[in-house]
Amino acid sequence: MYPVVQTRDLSKRFGRVQALAGLDLTVAEGEVHGFVGPNGAGKSTTIRILLGLMRAGGGSARVLGGDPWADASALHRRIAYVPGDVSLWPNLSGGEAIDLLARLRGARTADPGYQDRRRHLLERFQLDPTRKGRTYSTGNRQKVALVAALAVPADLLILDEPTSGLDPLMDAVFRAEIVRAAADGATVLLSSHILSEVERLCDRVSIIRSGRIIETGTLAELRHLTRTEVSFAGTGLAEAELAGLAARLSGVRDLTIGDDRVSFSVDAAALPDVLPVLAELRVQALTVAPPTLESLFLRHYGDPTHAPNVPTEAGDDPAGGHSPHHRHRR
Amino acid sequence: MTVKATREGRPAPMSTDAAAPTLWPLLALRLRRDRVQVPAWLLSLGAITLLAGLAVPASFGTLAERESLVQIAVGTPAILMLRGEPRGPAADALLFFSLFANLAAAVAFMSTFLAVRHSRAEEEAGRSELIGATVASRVVPLLATVLFGAVASLAAGAAVAVALIAAGLDTTGALVTGAALAGTGVAFLGVGVLTAQLMRTSRGANGLAAAVVGVAYVLRATGDAGGTPAADGLSLTSAWPSWLSPIGWGQHTRAFTENNLAPLLLQVAFAGLLVTVAVLLQSRRDTGSSVFAERSGRPAAGWLLRGSLGLAWRLQRAAILGWAVTGLLFGLLAGSLGETVADLMEGNPVFKNLLVGLAGGRGAVIDLYTATLFSLVGVIAAAAAIQSMLRARQEEAAGVAEAMLSTSLGRIRWLFDYLFVGVAGIVLVVAAAVLGAAAGLISSDAAADRIGSVLKAGAAQLPAAVLLLAVAAVLVALLPRLSIGLSWGLLLASVVVGQFGDLLDLPQWLRDLSPFSHTPAVAAAEVDWSGAWWMPVLAVLLAAGAAVGIRHRDLAP
Repeated sequence: MYPVVQTRDLSKRFGRVQALAGLDLTVAEGEVHGFVGPNGAGKSTTIRILLGLMRAGGGSARVLGGDPWADASALHRRIAYVPGDVSLWPNLSGGEAIDLLARLRGARTADPGYQDRRRHLLERFQLDPTRKGRTYSTGNRQKVALVAALAVPADLLILDEPTSGLDPLMDAVFRAEIVRAAADGATVLLSSHILSEVERLCDRVSIIRSGRIIETGTLAELRHLTRTEVSFAGTGLAEAELAGLAARLSGVRDLTIGDDRVSFSVDAAALPDVLPVLAELRVQALTVAPPTLESLFLRHYGDPTHAPNVPTEAGDDPAGGHSPHHRHRR
Repeated sequence: MTVKATREGRPAPMSTDAAAPTLWPLLALRLRRDRVQVPAWLLSLGAITLLAGLAVPASFGTLAERESLVQIAVGTPAILMLRGEPRGPAADALLFFSLFANLAAAVAFMSTFLAVRHSRAEEEAGRSELIGATVASRVVPLLATVLFGAVASLAAGAAVAVALIAAGLDTTGALVTGAALAGTGVAFLGVGVLTAQLMRTSRGANGLAAAVVGVAYVLRATGDAGGTPAADGLSLTSAWPSWLSPIGWGQHTRAFTENNLAPLLLQVAFAGLLVTVAVLLQSRRDTGSSVFAERSGRPAAGWLLRGSLGLAWRLQRAAILGWAVTGLLFGLLAGSLGETVADLMEGNPVFKNLLVGLAGGRGAVIDLYTATLFSLVGVIAAAAAIQSMLRARQEEAAGVAEAMLSTSLGRIRWLFDYLFVGVAGIVLVVAAAVLGAAAGLISSDAAADRIGSVLKAGAAQLPAAVLLLAVAAVLVALLPRLSIGLSWGLLLASVVVGQFGDLLDLPQWLRDLSPFSHTPAVAAAEVDWSGAWWMPVLAVLLAAGAAVGIRHRDLAP
C-alpha cells in the first residue's frame, strides 16, 4: 500500500484569502477516501491542485507518484474526474460528450470493453445519451460526467461532490458503481458534505477545516473521538434536581438545560456510569444517539467563531462569492 | 516509489507523446461545435465577394469610367478611409481597393470571436475543467483552438479567392487576396487567444479584441487617407500609419497589381509572437484565473442595485464602458488625425489645389474626415445597444430572469429596463466620441466651428442606432431563441447594405432598408435631417410592439 495521493504542507492563497494553509492529505492505494468539510473549507482547491488545474502555492503534492502540475497529461491517463458543477457543451449530445471525454483520456471508443461499460452505465443511471447538453437538468449533467468517468477504468477516481443533483435512487446506483470501481482496484477520493454517503462508502475519512486537515482516520477511529449524544425531557423535574445534575454526571460535556429538554454528550466509555443516574431521575422521552460523522462534524464546525459566512474563512472561494470556477451558465 | 509503479494489467503511464492523440479529438470537437457558424461566415464572405466581383466590372465597364472613379477616390479622404489604397484603374485592382480592408475586418472578427469562444468562454463555463482533467491537460486545448482558427482563416481566404476566380478575375491576384485575408485571420487569431488569457470573462476578451480590430482598421484608414497620390492621380501610396496595422499589412500585398507576398510574413510573425505569449501564460496560470484578475465584490447591494433597471445597468456597465472607451478612442483619432490628414494633403501638390478650390478649405477636409469616422461611431453605438438588449435574452436563457420575474416585477418593465440601458449605451458611446474628437480638435484653427460640426456628426448617429435597438427589442419579445443571431445579423447586414450598397450595386430599395442609409450626412452641403425624425418615431412604435409581444409569450429558457 503506497500513497496514491500525498500532500505535505500544501498551501494556496487567492489574493487576501488563504485557501489552503498547510494541508497534509494521504490517500492509500485501493481505499475509498472521504474528503469532508463545509463549503469554503478548501476541498475543491485541493482537488484542482491534485488535478494540475491549479498550481500549489507552497508545500508539495504527489499523485500516483508524479507531480500533478508538471506531469499532468501523463497522470490524467490514469485519473477520472467528476466536477461538482458539471457544464456540458450546449449543442453536443450527452453520448457525444461521454465519448469525447473517453477519447481524451486515451480510450478507444470502438473497443468492445468500453462499449459494454458505457451501455451498462447508461442503463444503470437511466441516462438518455441522445439529448443535447443544453436540455439536461443538473442531475442529468452530473450523470453524464459520472458515466464518462466510470466508462474508462482509472487508477484514481476524483469525485468533487458528485451526487449533489442526484435523486435517492440514483444515489444508490452511484454508490454501487463506486463500490464496483473500487473492487476493480481503483482508489477513490470522494469530496462531499453529504455525511451519510461518506459513512456508507468510505474506508477512511479526512476532515478539512480552514485549509487544514484536522482529523483523519477510519470511521471506527473517528468514532472514538466523538461522544454519544444524550437528551431527555426536563419538564417533570424539579429545579433542584436539575441544578444538581452537573455535579452528579461526571465525564459529561456540553450539558445544556433548556426550557423543555436537557442534553449532554458523553464518552462511549463513561456511558454506563451515566445511565443509573438517568434511571433514578425517571427521565422521560430519553434519546441516546450513537456517534455519527455528523456529530463529529458539528463538533468541529459548531464553533461560532467559525460560522460559515464569516468572510475571513479560508476556502475554495477566493472572490467572496464563489470559487473562480463557479459561474452562471449561458 | 516511481510513477512506473502501477498495478499489472494497466497501460504504462508517463508516455511522452500525450499531446498527439488528444489534439485530434479536440480539433474535431471544435469543428463539430462550429459546423454552422464558421460555414456561415465563409459563405457570407464568398457571397459578398462574388457580388462585388460581378458588380464592379458591370457598373464601371470602360477604362474612362474607372479612371474618373479612381481619381475621385484618390481625392476624397472619406472614400479612402472606408475602402483602401487605390492602385490604378484596372477593374480587378479597383475591386481589391474597394473590398479588401472591409473583408479583412470581417475575417478579423471571425478569428477573434472563434479564439475566445474556444478558450475563455469554455473556461468561464467550467467545461475546460472537464477537459483539463483528461490527458489533454492545459496547453493542448489552446493548440487545438489555434489550429482550428488557422484552418478557418485559410478557408476564409480560400472562399474569397474562389469567389474572385468565379467572377472571372485574374487567378494569381485572387490567390494573393485570399492569402492576405488568411494572414489577417491568423494575425487576429493571435489577438483573440491573447485577450482570452488577459481577461477573466469572454465578454471582456471579446471586447478587448474588438477594440484591437477597430484600432487596426483606423490606423489603416488614416494611412490611406493621408497617402501620397501618384502624379496621374490614378493611384496612391498609403502613409506610415498603415504599416502599424495587420489589416494594412494585408493590403500592402497589392493583389492584382504587384502581388507582393512579403507583408504576409509580418502577419505570421505577429501571430507567432502573440500565440507564443498566450501559450506561455496558459502553461503557467491556474485554470479560471486571468492576467487581469477579478476584484472581489461588495458585501451588500449599493443604492443603484434597487430593481431590474439597476440590475440591467450593473450587468452591462462594464461592456458599455468598454464600448464608450472605444468611442472615445475613435473620437480622439478622428479629432487629432484630421489635422494630420489635412497636413498630409497640403504637403502634396495635387491636393493643394483641390483644397484651395473646396468650399471651406482646410476646415471642410477635417469635417469630412471626422464625419466619416463618426459613421463608424454610429455602428459602435448600435452594437453597444444591441448587446444590452440581448442581455435580457441571455438572462432569460440562463434562468436568472425567472427569478426576477417571479417577484413583483412586470414583464414589460423588465424588458424595457434593458432597452433603457441600451439607449444609455448609445448616448454614452456617442458622447464619448464627441468628447474625444473635441479634445483632439481643440488646438485647430476655428476650433469652435470644428467642434460644432463634430456635435452635429455625433447627433446624426443617434436615430439609426435607436431604431436598431428597438428592432432587437421586438426580436427578443417575439422570437427569443433566434433573437441573438438575428439581431447581430441585422446589424451586420445594415452595415454591409448601408456602406457597401453602391459597391455591390444593390438596388436602391434594398439600400433604403438599412437604417444607416438614413443617417443624416452632416458633411454634405444640404443636410437631410428627415431620418432624425421618422427613425425615432418608428423605434417607439416598435418598442410598443415589443411590449405587447413580451406579455403574450411563455418564458423560453
